[in-house]
Amino acid sequence: MKGHKRDIVSTGKAPLKSPVAVSVGLHLLVFGIALAGWSWNTPPEPEPRSISARLISPAPRPTPVVEEQDEADKEQERKQAQAREREEAERQRQAEEKARQEAERKAQEEARRREEERRQQEAQAKELAEKQAREREAARQKAEAEAKERERQKAEEERKRQEEAKRRAEEEKRRQEEQRKKEEAERQRREEEARKEAERKRLEAERRLREQQLEALADQARQEREAEARRQQEAAAARAREAQMLSESEKYQALIRERLSQAWYPPSSATENMTARLQITLLPTGELASVKLVGSSGNTAFDNSALSAVRSLNRYPIPDNRDTFERYFRQFTIEFNPQRLR
Amino acid sequence: MFMKSRFRCSGSFLKTPIIACLVLFLAASLSARAELLIRITEGAGSAIPIAVVPFAESGSMPAGDKVGSIVQADLTMSGEFRPLEPSKMLSLPSERSEVYFRDWRMLGQRYVLVGQLTRNGDRIQARYELFDVNQEKRILGETAAVPASNLRSLGHHISDRVYEAITGAPGVFSTKLAYITVSGEGEQTRYRLQVSDVDGKRSKVRLESREPILSPAWSPDGKKLAYVSFETGKPVIFVHELATGERQKVADFPGLNSAPAWSADGRSLLMTLSRDGNAEIYQMDLASRNLTRLTDHWAIDTEAAWDHADRGIYFTSDRSGGPQIYHMERPGAEPRRITFGSRYNARPRPSPTGDYVYYVHQRDSAFHIARTNLETGEETVITRTGSDESPSVAPNGRLLIYATRQNGEGVLTVVSADGGAAYSLPASGGEVREPAWGPVTR
Amino acid sequence: MKMSFSTKAFAMLLSAGLVAGCSSTGENMEEGTYGSDVAAIDQDGGSTVYGGADGSSVSASELTDDERRAAQEQAEQEALRDITTFYFDFDTSEIKPDARDVLVAHARYLADNPRQQVRLEGHADERGTKEYNLALGERRANAVQRFLIVNGASRGQIETVSYGEEKPAVRGSTESAWAQNRRVELVFQ
Repeated sequence: MKGHKRDIVSTGKAPLKSPVAVSVGLHLLVFGIALAGWSWNTPPEPEPRSISARLISPAPRPTPVVEEQDEADKEQERKQAQAREREEAERQRQAEEKARQEAERKAQEEARRREEERRQQEAQAKELAEKQAREREAARQKAEAEAKERERQKAEEERKRQEEAKRRAEEEKRRQEEQRKKEEAERQRREEEARKEAERKRLEAERRLREQQLEALADQARQEREAEARRQQEAAAARAREAQMLSESEKYQALIRERLSQAWYPPSSATENMTARLQITLLPTGELASVKLVGSSGNTAFDNSALSAVRSLNRYPIPDNRDTFERYFRQFTIEFNPQRLR
Repeated sequence: MFMKSRFRCSGSFLKTPIIACLVLFLAASLSARAELLIRITEGAGSAIPIAVVPFAESGSMPAGDKVGSIVQADLTMSGEFRPLEPSKMLSLPSERSEVYFRDWRMLGQRYVLVGQLTRNGDRIQARYELFDVNQEKRILGETAAVPASNLRSLGHHISDRVYEAITGAPGVFSTKLAYITVSGEGEQTRYRLQVSDVDGKRSKVRLESREPILSPAWSPDGKKLAYVSFETGKPVIFVHELATGERQKVADFPGLNSAPAWSADGRSLLMTLSRDGNAEIYQMDLASRNLTRLTDHWAIDTEAAWDHADRGIYFTSDRSGGPQIYHMERPGAEPRRITFGSRYNARPRPSPTGDYVYYVHQRDSAFHIARTNLETGEETVITRTGSDESPSVAPNGRLLIYATRQNGEGVLTVVSADGGAAYSLPASGGEVREPAWGPVTR
Repeated sequence: MKMSFSTKAFAMLLSAGLVAGCSSTGENMEEGTYGSDVAAIDQDGGSTVYGGADGSSVSASELTDDERRAAQEQAEQEALRDITTFYFDFDTSEIKPDARDVLVAHARYLADNPRQQVRLEGHADERGTKEYNLALGERRANAVQRFLIVNGASRGQIETVSYGEEKPAVRGSTESAWAQNRRVELVFQ
């Protein structure tokens, strides 16, 4: 699915040039400006209503301090307070009067200043207006001249353009003709090529198909060979393991045989017919767990000599490999049968 | 293969393939579970280590060798045992509760013999036990009693019992030896026929003579000796009864009267006589003194001995130019030559077990004792000494005694029948020769 | 062939005897081939010989050539018969060539003296077995006995016995001792 989307994105024209995209962009632009404008018109902090912008800091109003007092003193306090209040009010009245006078004066001064400023401003404005008028006039004249020039140029350009257009049209026509021819040829060529291409592609496809088939066959054969080789290898490994176990077991058989021979004192009355069979059980340490006479030679002294020999070994030589031990040496049979070589 | 058989089996209702499958399956499973089999065909080939612990004693014991040392010497002489020096023993048990098998196992001993002797009046009672160290079990446990003066016999008896219990073969330690000693020179020369224990001890003179005595031969019951004596100036055969000292002259013919050999029933003697002109072998019935001639050849035929079957005889003959051993299947049959490997082979003594014949054999310029395997014909020299004579086989066929020279003196040596161990009998002063190993008497 | 001292002495004696005989004959020959009566005059050590026999005071025994020869022979024979031990090689009873003349002498002697008894004692060296050596000694003695009988002695005069290796002449286990023990001894009774 991702690929599909990708495919869609990758084919066709570039994203910037699609009409949908243009309109969206414009809308965004407009929204952006509006937002920006909006944010511009929003004052950074709210103005307080009661105070004008130019108010210079008045005398600080005393903040009433309220203190908690006892009930007993309150009466006196109140009286005092009333007195103070009267005084206060008086003072205040005076202050206010003063302030009013001051304020009046200031207001007059302010009016005067403002008047002055207004006059100045008017003068400036008049001057500015005059300047602007002059500039406007100059500009108008310039503009006129420019316009005339422009017109002339335009007429000239128009003429040139028409000529050019005519020429271009002809050229265009020619070019288009050529183009058409070229395109025709091109088209034919392309068709030809496309055909060849198609042919080649078909052949190619066929060849590739054949190759793939052969490859598949070869692959299959190879896999089969590998599988066979693996099977054989495993079998060989198993055989080798088996053989190793066997050869190892044979090695230890020989060791046991040697040790038991050295430990066996066959009685002198033994004949080559006598055979004592003993079943041996070993512990993984090589020690003898048990021995049982499973086949008597018929001669007690001979049997005893075999049992004695088997028991005389403190430890039987056994392979380290536990599997080999379990397979061959956990329990096995020993036959004692003297063969005189004389 | 198993797969193949399965394939064969599937979809078939015939009996044979199913049975084949079963068989194959069984075979496969059996072989998978087949047990390892180890075959031991050869032994240590050396003497068995045995600890003969000096017996505990209670009561006064006669002077002389201790029972333990007698047993030790006997077992050593047999060549089949290697007794442990008592000085190496970690403990001296006299009964089972005192035996710590681990100690003896550590010392490498296969058997331990312990015992107690108790004096009881003029008798000594013995109690002895033999243990297999590795199996930790008792193999022998017996009592016996002898007159105090006969302690040596007790020792030999115990040696016999121990030997039998371990080897399965009868012991020969209670048998006797007969032999000749020579001492003095010239006019003082004395020949003595003596009988002793198998270890040369308790020797008793049975005959003393100024003239040579030869070829002592034990009767099968051990009561009589036949021998050749020159006391009359010529070789004459006597039969001598040991208990009484009585003797009879049984062959005094012109010429040779020599090489007496008893039949198994003790009723006749083989002998070499030259009454008919040259040395031939005869059989004499002792009761009737009737003679039957067995050989008839101008060559020397002598030194006859009955074979194991007691039907035929072995003898020495130089009919082929030099002395060789021959066997006659039965009296009168055509003799068959046995020895070929040397130009001098004489005095055959077949083993009582019937597997070998022993004889004197010359190799290079030395004379050894050799034996021939009667089944394979293979000949082996079994002595290393070089002037050997008079082989005599022990009744159990396992030992051989013979005469040889050591330091210029004639001595007797016991060897294992296969020539393994050799044991010289202590010299008794003077020349010793012509040993004859007495029979086992129960 | 090994020669013991006795054998050598015997041989020398024999040669001496022969030579002695030769010289006598030679001298006779030189002086003439006639009878002894001619040659006798100058003979050294000999008795004076006059022709014919007479009863002179000088009692010289008068010997004819035959008699002298006989006497000489007898001397030889006696010398030979000094040798009474005969040796053999190992394990044989074959009479050696140089023993023959001696034995012949003995045989002749026995023949001449029918009542003379002799015992032949056969021996062997110590090697090998006693009984076989006993038979071997006997065989040697028998061989000598046969030879004597063939050469004139009669069976009744001869007794044989064998001691085998029991009575060595020389003790020891050397070749020399052995050689001296392989023998037959003539013991005149």
